[in-house]
Amino acid sequence: MTLAVILVIAAALALLFILGVTFSRSLQVSGGTALATQIQPIDVEAFRNLVNPAEDDYLRRRLPASEFRRVRQKRLRATAAYVRTAGRNAAILIRMGQTALTASDPATAEAARRLVDNALLLRRNAAFALLRIYLALAWPNSGLAAATVLHGYERLNGSAMLLGRLQNPSTPVRISAAL
Amino acid sequence: MLQAHSILWHYLWIAPNILCLVLAVAVGRSSFRRQYPLFFSYLIFSALEGICLYALDVSPKISAITWWRVFWGGTIVDGLLKFAVVAELLHHLLHSWPAVARLGRNLVSGVGALLVLLAAVAAAFAAPDNTHWLVGGAHVLSQTLYLTVAGLILSIFMLAASFRIPWERSAFGIALGAGVVWCEHLAVWALVAGGVVRNRGWEDIANMGAFHLCVLIWFYYLLVPKKVAANAPTPLPENNLDVWNRELERLVHPRALQP
Repeated sequence: MTLAVILVIAAALALLFILGVTFSRSLQVSGGTALATQIQPIDVEAFRNLVNPAEDDYLRRRLPASEFRRVRQKRLRATAAYVRTAGRNAAILIRMGQTALTASDPATAEAARRLVDNALLLRRNAAFALLRIYLALAWPNSGLAAATVLHGYERLNGSAMLLGRLQNPSTPVRISAAL
Repeated sequence: MLQAHSILWHYLWIAPNILCLVLAVAVGRSSFRRQYPLFFSYLIFSALEGICLYALDVSPKISAITWWRVFWGGTIVDGLLKFAVVAELLHHLLHSWPAVARLGRNLVSGVGALLVLLAAVAAAFAAPDNTHWLVGGAHVLSQTLYLTVAGLILSIFMLAASFRIPWERSAFGIALGAGVVWCEHLAVWALVAGGVVRNRGWEDIANMGAFHLCVLIWFYYLLVPKKVAANAPTPLPENNLDVWNRELERLVHPRALQP
C-alpha cells in the first residue's frame, strides 16, 4: 500500500515535470533580440584571477591559516557566481544557436551547430566546476580546477562570434557582443 | 460508463490502436521510417497487440488463461521494444552533440541500472494476489516494466532540461507521448500490483484513455509541420561591440594587453 502510494506520487511528479518542460518549450521566444539582451557580461580577467592556483598559493603564504580559509571561501563563492553566470549565458546561446540550426545557408547552420555544441560543453564543464567548487568549500585546503570552464568560455566566444558574422555580415559581432 | 464492455471501453480499446496503424501508414512513406525504425516497429507491434488482445477478449471461445498468456507474451515483446525506443530517443537527442553525448549516455545508463534494482524491490513488495499466478504476475510485470521505462524517459527529459540540449520536434513528440502514457501506466499498475485497486473497471479506462491521448500527441508532433518563426536581426547597442572586442583581444592575446 505504502509503496503503491509512493510510486503513484513519483509518477505524478514525473508527469508534471514532463508537462512543465513541454509548456516552457512552447513558451520559448524564438527571436534573437530578447535572448541577446539576457546575456550577462562576465569580467573574464577577474575570473582568471579567481581560478589562478598561483594566487591561492600566494594568499596561503601571506595570510594566517584562519584568515586564508575565510578569504578562500569568499573567492570560491565568487567563482561559483561566475560559473553560474557563464552557464546561464551558455544556455541562452544554445537557444540562439538553435534558431539558426535550420538556416538555409550551410555555413550558418554549421556555425550554429558548433556554437550549440560548445555551449553544451560549457554547461557540462560548469556543472563539474560547480561540483568541485562546492567540494572545495567543504574542504578549503583542496585544489580547484575551474580552468576547463575558462577554456570552454573562450571557445564559446569564438563560436558565437562566427555565427554572428555569418548571420549578419555587415555587423559581424552583434549577436555575441554582450558575452 | 467506466465499466468493462461499455461503449467507451470498446472505443478506447480499439480506436487508439487503429489510429496507431493509420499513423504508421502516414509516417511510413516518409524518411521518418528510416530515422526511427525502432519506434516505427513499436508503433505497429503495439497496435497489432492491442487489436489481438481486444479480439481475444470479446471472443467467447478464448479462455481467460489463454488471454493472460497472450498478454504476457505481448507485454514482454512490447517491453523490449519500449527499451529500444528509449535508446533510439537518447541517440537522436545526443548524436549531434559530442560535448555531452558520452556523459548523457552514461547518466541514463546509470539511472537505468538503479531503476532495475528499484523495480526488483518494488516487485518483491507487491501485494499477494488470490487469483491465478498469471494474473498477479502480469500486474507485477507491468509495474516493473513501467517503473523502469517511465524512469528512463524522465531521466532523458531531465538530462535535456539541465543541459538545455535541443530536441528534434519528432523526437520530442515521441518522448512526450511516451512519457505521459508510461507515467500514467506506472501509477495505475502500482495501485493494481499493490492491491489498492483491483477489478474496479476504471483502471482499464484510465490506461486506454492515456494511450489514446499519447497517440494523439504523436499525431500532432509527427504529422503537423513545425511553425517557422521569422528570425529578426538582433540589434544591440554599438558600445557593446567595443566591450566584446576588448574582451576577445584579452582572451585571445592575454599577454599583448599587459603593460
